[in-house]
Amino acid sequence: MLLDVRDLHVEFRTRDGVARAVNGVSYRVDAGETLAVLGESGSGKSVTAQAVMGILDTPPGRITGGEVLFRGRDLLKLKEDERRRVRGAEMAMIFQDALSSLNPVLPVGDQLGEMFVVHRGMSRKDARARAVELMDRVRIPAARERAKQYPHQFSGGMRQRIMIAMALALEPALIIADEPTTALDVTVQAQVMDLLAELRREYRMGLILITHDLGVVADVADRIAVMYAGRIVESAPVHDLYGAPAHPYTRGLLDSVPRLDLKGRELHAIKGLPPGLTHIPPGCAFHPRCPMARDVCRTDVPPLYGVAEPDAARGSACHFWRECLDG
Amino acid sequence: MGRYVVRRLVQMVPVFVGATLLIFLMVNVMGDPIAGLCGERRCDPATAARLRAEFGLDRPVWQQYLTYMGNVFTGDFGTAFNGQEVTELMATAFPVTLRLTLIAILFEIVVGVTLGVVTGLRRGRPVDTGVLLLTLVVISVPTFVTGLLLQLLLGVKWGWIRPSVSTEAPFAELILPGLVLASVSLAYVTRLTRTSIAENRRSDYVRTAIAKGLPRHRVVTRHLLRNSLIPVVTFIGADVGFLMGGAIVTERIFNIHGVGYQLYQGILRQNTQTVVGFVTVLVLVFLVANLVVDLLYAVLDPRIRYV
Amino acid sequence: MSEQHYESERVVAVTGVGGTVDLGADGTERPGKAPGGPGGPGGPGPRDRPRSLWSDAWRDLRRNPVFIVSGLVICFLVLISLWPSAIASGSPLACDLAKAQEGPRPGHPFGFDGQGCDVYTRTVHGARTSVTVGVLATLGVAVLGSVLGALAGFLGGVWDAVLSRITDVFFAIPVVLGGLVLLSVITSNTVWPVIGFIVLLGWPQISRIARGSVITVQQNDYVQAARALGASRTRLLLRHIAPNAVAPVIVVATIALGTYIALEATLSYLGVGLKPPSVSWGIDISAASPYVRNAPHALLWPSGALAVTVLAFIMLGDAVRDALDPKLR
Repeated sequence: MLLDVRDLHVEFRTRDGVARAVNGVSYRVDAGETLAVLGESGSGKSVTAQAVMGILDTPPGRITGGEVLFRGRDLLKLKEDERRRVRGAEMAMIFQDALSSLNPVLPVGDQLGEMFVVHRGMSRKDARARAVELMDRVRIPAARERAKQYPHQFSGGMRQRIMIAMALALEPALIIADEPTTALDVTVQAQVMDLLAELRREYRMGLILITHDLGVVADVADRIAVMYAGRIVESAPVHDLYGAPAHPYTRGLLDSVPRLDLKGRELHAIKGLPPGLTHIPPGCAFHPRCPMARDVCRTDVPPLYGVAEPDAARGSACHFWRECLDG
Repeated sequence: MGRYVVRRLVQMVPVFVGATLLIFLMVNVMGDPIAGLCGERRCDPATAARLRAEFGLDRPVWQQYLTYMGNVFTGDFGTAFNGQEVTELMATAFPVTLRLTLIAILFEIVVGVTLGVVTGLRRGRPVDTGVLLLTLVVISVPTFVTGLLLQLLLGVKWGWIRPSVSTEAPFAELILPGLVLASVSLAYVTRLTRTSIAENRRSDYVRTAIAKGLPRHRVVTRHLLRNSLIPVVTFIGADVGFLMGGAIVTERIFNIHGVGYQLYQGILRQNTQTVVGFVTVLVLVFLVANLVVDLLYAVLDPRIRYV
Repeated sequence: MSEQHYESERVVAVTGVGGTVDLGADGTERPGKAPGGPGGPGGPGPRDRPRSLWSDAWRDLRRNPVFIVSGLVICFLVLISLWPSAIASGSPLACDLAKAQEGPRPGHPFGFDGQGCDVYTRTVHGARTSVTVGVLATLGVAVLGSVLGALAGFLGGVWDAVLSRITDVFFAIPVVLGGLVLLSVITSNTVWPVIGFIVLLGWPQISRIARGSVITVQQNDYVQAARALGASRTRLLLRHIAPNAVAPVIVVATIALGTYIALEATLSYLGVGLKPPSVSWGIDISAASPYVRNAPHALLWPSGALAVTVLAFIMLGDAVRDALDPKLR
């Protein structure tokens, strides 16, 4: 087991009260496995990733409970300096907006090379050579010359390749990619996603892919965790979930994607808005928007039920998952 | 870059002409340029007429301005009230004010930036609130009040320093006046640095730097400071021009014989040549400081392109 | 980037916003975070901005202790400058040389100055000068500056270029220096020359702000839409642009009010602002400084009053800026 997140809780102090962004999230990633974490913005998917990575803004954020076991060690119990050595070297992160995520006043080569200088104690000259190699590796043309350029001189796709190169630099065991293609043009999205998937296979890294794009997920993920209001509502192997969702929210998500084979039919949108994190509804957080909601959903928080399928690694946090599964 | 500099220099010409002409007009229209030339007495009419002709004061003002500027560009700034060349006055006054300005700038860099970084990194903590209030007070109390109070406390009450500066004005005696001159800018620099640091601290690239596993000091110095100090550096650069022109009050409080002192004397004695000459140089310093600052921007921030 | 950044930073520095490099100027865009998930949760929808800006600002202000304290101080100052005799019945010009430099005593809590005048009475009466100069100069600067600046921003072209150069010229002249030159030969002993001088050298600051915000507002979609719908230029300026460009002008003007009061005192201290027998804190501070060893109280009381007054206006401006700046929301 590469990563085992257990019952993670994260809160934010805001002007309107305490926002409970993550409420008992558990997920696992094996070496070489790709886990897609799916959810709307505000579902807690990015906050969970930041807590795992150890880059949560504290304050206002605060981890109030849970464990993050990485290669058997609980990262939350490490000292800050030990934690720092894990970041970048053993697990790395790719962010959504590469333009703002790269330092605007440093050449990209320096920013890449910095990984080797800090974690491997290389000389600046050697580090620069490695940076050029990395840029070659993510197929940036004329890497030697472009290493001296600044982030704003690259196109969006090229910048995201640099982010990927930075994450891969020290060949970490786990990469967390937070909406890596959302800010890109559709044509470029596919190229970048393919590159990421290919390099992941080659280095046999675990990958957590945070996204709201169901199309991307189907292609690259092994497993999917669907998040809603700071909880995982369904967790399943990708094909099981696409075949028959076991949670009404997942079903709603799948139904809201336009499909060529169902052209002409009306699209189903999930009615209503996701709840504010300071006022999460009691019971099942999804009940105000759920077409299947009954009285029990308003009072009892559903646990993550094990879904009795051939594959035991499937769960749904719906009191009526059986009905949902049967459609 | 070269073309940009040339264009900026060309743009400076009308501003320079406008500012000096304005001062020239003010001094000429308001004052009597030959007052004081006959010593303490009022000139008798015959002498006055002769002097007017001699200095070309019987011609239209715009001709006088052209003649004056023509002379200035050959290095002739005219004669001061006591018969001294204005350039001689400048040679003694400007080094003093430069020393004073240098000390003020050092205070801004060392104290202002340090306080700004410390408070920016600890936003909302007691040290931040305290420093922020202090800067508000410093900005609010006029420089001449700050100067008089510090002089009273340190010079008169506690006797740590000499209350007034000797004619040679060595560095050691200019430390307190330099602090007084810097005080308001110092508070601005602190606030600007603090805001800039606090804003950039939440930025995505700082988050990236942390995610890369860089040690905290490296995140702060290499990534956070490098970006946050760009507006601060440019502020301090442009402040050179402001401080030199604003030194009048400080120099008067501490009796420093610098640019402000000479200007004050020139104005009191309505000596056109001294006033216009010193102002011309000050305007030039101001314009050049601003040009240098704009160029500095390009060096510090690669995103800025000059077209 | 042009010469403009300097001024904006001066203002920024006082007000405490900003510090970022404006990327709009060189054409580099900064893509916002892509919103939404599959369900498309929108934030709060577009609101009626002008109205909500002002009412939100007022709600924020009422809860801000800085605003309340500085507001109360300013109210008090305005009251005593209208009716100084209410709390100081004597005349500020009734002096008795025999009592020169004497310390506090019953009925004269602040003691006497070098001329034997009652420091308390003079300090109270000095408020009128400061408040009058501050308020009138700010009004003049705000009106002149925003009209000229708004016209430059709105008309563009030659108007803008000429006005911007004139602004540059005024900026290149050190303020105190200009005051010395201009005011040294004026013999009138009223507040008007000082006010006139401040307006003359102060308007470019406001005109730059007004010009900048008009240009920014003009690029907003709703202005473009009004233009496309055939709104006349005057209507556009008065109805759509002006109300939205006014906020930054108010913020800068409030803070400037404090600095103008300080400027009047500085000029009076240098002997070119108001002159005796006028009553001004600057005059009293200047008069007290030669004998500060013997009678520090004569220096400290007017200095304190001046500092508190300027501080109150700058804090008020600070609070108003916090409330009006949508970026900080």
